Amino acid sequence: MAYTEEELKKELETKEYEYGFYTDIDSETFPIGLSEEIVERISAKKNEPKWMTQWRLEAFRAWKKMDEPDWANVHYKKPDFQAISYYSAPLKKDKYESIDEVDPELLATFEKLGISLDEQKKLAGVAVDIVVDSVSVATTFKKTLGEKGIIFCSISEAIQDHPELVKKYIGSVIPVKDNFYAALNSAVFSDGSFCYIPKGVRCPMELSTYFRINQAGTGQFERTLVIADESSYVSYLEGCTAPSRDENQLHAAVVELVALDHSEIKYSTVQNWYPGGKDGVGGVYNFVTKRGICHTHSKISWTQVETGSAVTWKYPSCILKGDHSIGEFYSIALTNNYQQADTGTKMIHLGKNTKSTIISKGISAGKSQNSYRGLVQVHPRAINARNFSQCDSLLMGNDCGAHTFPYIEVRNNSAQIEHEATTSKIGEDQVFYCNQRGIDPEKAIALIVNGFSKEVLNKLPMEFAVEAQKLLEISLEGSVG
Amino acid sequence: MITIENLHAQVEGKKILNGIDFDVKPGEVHAIMGPNGSGKSTLSSVIAGHHDYEVTEGTMLLEGEDLSEMNAEERAHNGIFLSFQYPVEIPGVSVTNFIKTAINANRKAHGLENMPANEMLKKIREKSALLEIDSRFLSRSLNEGFSGGEKKRNEIFQMAMLEPKLSILDETDSGLDIDALKIVANGVNKLRSKNNAIVVITHYQRLLEYIVPDFVHVIFDGKIVKSGTKDLALELEAKGYDWIKELA
Amino acid sequence: MDFQEKLLASHIAFEEEIDLTDPIHQLRIDSLETFEAKGFPTRKDEDWKYTSLNTLIRKDYALFPKAETSIDLQKVKKYFLYEIDTYKVVFIDGVYSPFLSNTTHDGLDVCLMSAALTKSKYRDLINTYFNKIANQGDSLTCLNTSYTREGAYVYIPKETVAEKPIEIIHFSTGEEKSLWLQPRNLIVVDQNAQVQIIERHQSLKEHDVVTNSVTEIYAHQDALLDYYKIQNDLTSASLIDNTYISQDKNSNVKVHTFSLGGKLIRNNLNFYHKGEHCDSTLKGITILEEKQHVDHFTLVDHSQPNCESHQDYKGVFTGKSKGVFNGKIFVDRLAQKTNAFQQNNNILLDDKATVNTKPQLEIFADDVKCSHGCTVGQLDNDALFYLRSRGIPEKEAKALMTYAFANNVLESVEIPILKKRINLLIANKLGVNLGLGL
Repeated sequence: MAYTEEELKKELETKEYEYGFYTDIDSETFPIGLSEEIVERISAKKNEPKWMTQWRLEAFRAWKKMDEPDWANVHYKKPDFQAISYYSAPLKKDKYESIDEVDPELLATFEKLGISLDEQKKLAGVAVDIVVDSVSVATTFKKTLGEKGIIFCSISEAIQDHPELVKKYIGSVIPVKDNFYAALNSAVFSDGSFCYIPKGVRCPMELSTYFRINQAGTGQFERTLVIADESSYVSYLEGCTAPSRDENQLHAAVVELVALDHSEIKYSTVQNWYPGGKDGVGGVYNFVTKRGICHTHSKISWTQVETGSAVTWKYPSCILKGDHSIGEFYSIALTNNYQQADTGTKMIHLGKNTKSTIISKGISAGKSQNSYRGLVQVHPRAINARNFSQCDSLLMGNDCGAHTFPYIEVRNNSAQIEHEATTSKIGEDQVFYCNQRGIDPEKAIALIVNGFSKEVLNKLPMEFAVEAQKLLEISLEGSVG
Repeated sequence: MITIENLHAQVEGKKILNGIDFDVKPGEVHAIMGPNGSGKSTLSSVIAGHHDYEVTEGTMLLEGEDLSEMNAEERAHNGIFLSFQYPVEIPGVSVTNFIKTAINANRKAHGLENMPANEMLKKIREKSALLEIDSRFLSRSLNEGFSGGEKKRNEIFQMAMLEPKLSILDETDSGLDIDALKIVANGVNKLRSKNNAIVVITHYQRLLEYIVPDFVHVIFDGKIVKSGTKDLALELEAKGYDWIKELA
Repeated sequence: MDFQEKLLASHIAFEEEIDLTDPIHQLRIDSLETFEAKGFPTRKDEDWKYTSLNTLIRKDYALFPKAETSIDLQKVKKYFLYEIDTYKVVFIDGVYSPFLSNTTHDGLDVCLMSAALTKSKYRDLINTYFNKIANQGDSLTCLNTSYTREGAYVYIPKETVAEKPIEIIHFSTGEEKSLWLQPRNLIVVDQNAQVQIIERHQSLKEHDVVTNSVTEIYAHQDALLDYYKIQNDLTSASLIDNTYISQDKNSNVKVHTFSLGGKLIRNNLNFYHKGEHCDSTLKGITILEEKQHVDHFTLVDHSQPNCESHQDYKGVFTGKSKGVFNGKIFVDRLAQKTNAFQQNNNILLDDKATVNTKPQLEIFADDVKCSHGCTVGQLDNDALFYLRSRGIPEKEAKALMTYAFANNVLESVEIPILKKRINLLIANKLGVNLGLGL
């Protein structure tokens, strides 16, 4: 006989996180806890210039005076920031000339994830800068990029080799005191990616970084800085998976984007940190600050597919400072089991004729809570600002929640702002229709959810879109409404 | 092809089918007619395996295999196709993507690899031409914003793509103007072969002028009360349904 | 001594004037404690993010108005629906005015809260209803409860249709230079009963008056209630309106709020469903100018299956005015088959005007239809051009279009004369001459 929804739900619930494994790599880990001394040690370890150390200390001092925010619609046990080790790096710190020199076990890990370097290399024009537990261990395609004058390296390298660029832009979009997690990241960030596209250059390939949390009890504090100089273009991909652990792991990344006049940055993320078990134990706390600044006639486009993490707190934002600048935010946030996500964006319209678009698709299943929180702010001088926002929620089952908290603040009478939100469920008739065509219920759900998310999936680069669809399918296991 | 014996079925405790007997052989076209609420559409849902309908008595055999043990998708894999009276909308899923997913799901059930893209494309072109379907139509979201005629044409297009053994066309003529009806009927006729069978469920005999049945059955109160040839359809058209109520 | 301290310190004096044996004495004391602990809300409270009470509570206000002031009926006639017969409960500076009122106990009760609180025959009703639906954790509601003495009391018995609308009108005369009023209304519409109520706050001359009002409404099974709030006060008058509505099975409650004047208005409008198949309608027209500020804060708590709610708020803002809409739809996991819709449309006519809107959905049930939409924008340029090409001057064309934008909310007003009045008010406000045949 056909499945009842209840039966299907039960069967699907037994599936476990596919990427939940732990790679045993020798690591050097700092003692736990955070103090000025630890901040200095992190800086010293990385051989940073004095201004950088000072910058970190300033952030640390600011952080000490700040309180962890609690306004988001998420509930979790606050991490003990003194029980975390703030630095961990694979011991083999040499730079690899070729991929053969990379720790084979690490490569095996990536293969398990289906993102082996070999595969990546084969994928048309994707350069991969892999970050495992904070330190960059392999970079490819550097030569091709070098010819165009594009700098794509770890932020540690950039601090050594391009201090003038780092000094000028780091903290320029997200000041060290911006918020609790950003301040913490500024003090202790271990590594991350740096990207600079020179004037008039169109980056010929998608730049890509894969992040992983690997070391037990290691907080991870990535720092990413992308600068698109005048009239340049870059598409940047960030993907995350994390191994399954029972302790809650903290992830507090900072991503800053600078789009100078007439440039365009596309920043795409697939986030699949370990979401915790189906009983709600474990999982990553993902407290990310992402923000870009748009100068005249420039454009920043954030696309995200968020399926992982136990708790997500993330609002990729655009400051539309320059006239005629454009900000876009396309998001799919899927929560299952006990996951909680509070995510959205801020579009700050400062310049004239600025435009923003927000498309958010929230899918809640299991016992999860999924919130959209967005701010559209039109300042008095932002003449002719335009915004269109659409937030759609799909609920699967009756134990989850979908929440929409849009804030719209308009202080200019020439603005045109439109916001729409809907809530729906997957219809039994839709599932039966698919069944009748030979598509099983699980695949039918995946198909319908992909359809629901299509407007956002379409914004992802091709190879990423395929991966994202797969991820939605995996993440939905255990939930039929 | 399909043999149904003494089929009783109910939905939410309400009896709808009260002992249906009927047998369809390969190459045949059967029409099932009857007034509203007689159980026509229930019969199609029961054959397709809709879980809201509970079979309380009787058997359904598809080429000798018991259907009651199969869920809806397994019945589809075994060659049952239902053209829905009210096709469902699935936003964001294109006609092409849907049919691709369905074909590959059926192939997988038979241990076959996914259909290669170029073969799929060729087939889609061929079958969409058969139903005079515009290629722009194929990229639209499934049934979303489709007119009545487009929905029904899309159903028959899927039938052409999936090449089922037994097709049940549930009120395929409802909501169609005469031009659309001709296109749909023409499509169905081209799909007729000695290896497959078609069951046409309809209230009016209008469709049967274009899809000519070998047999006509009249259903009333969950039972087949009269069977005959295509002339029975004309008789019904002329006399209405009232007289058959006395047969029941 | 700041005003908050004054409120706390004056309570003893307040209690000396009232009957300490009445059934809510302890409630007043407890509520004052809650207010003391919480204080006035500040912009740090998420629910008060866009509205600050600072400028209001920095001042000092008289809490106890002088003895009865009389006013000339002719002067205030225009504030009543004088064209039709109505029940009237009228207060002047917070004190009941028997002269202007028209109460009844004939088949239904339209009378005074003070009577309901002190007369023994009302004791059961007070025990059943008083402060039961009001948010007991809300500091302003608690402040009102702690000073509860007067207001309107309405009881419509089972199967009774009130034949005339009820007008509840609060005048402030300006006899006191500055005055803080805290009326408390209780309205019970019993099974299958029907009533229409109009509430108005009106100052008669420029002076600082702040009204912190609480209204509790109980609509029992199959009850029908139409409630109209007319907020067209002078620019020195402020209003904090806290309305709590409890709906039983099959009841239908409509609240229209016309915010056309005043200094600062905050409307806290809360609907709670206690049975299935409730229907709730919340509509609002806000037209502001100069430095006026109106904040609509709505909550529809869908806790039962098969209920519906419809919200439609329109705002037009000129000058340096500020509009806030904060609408919350909450759907409990039990509330399957809920239909909840919310729409908030705003037009900014001047470049110093501001709109902050925050339509929220919190949904815990899967088989529901919920949507919200909001827009902020200007008048349609094409339509404007069309009107001008027909010879209508730009100013008039704009007024006409704004009028059309706001006016469609009036469709659901059930009292014809009220509809006409509001229509006129809106037209005057926007400079539209209705004589043109509109």
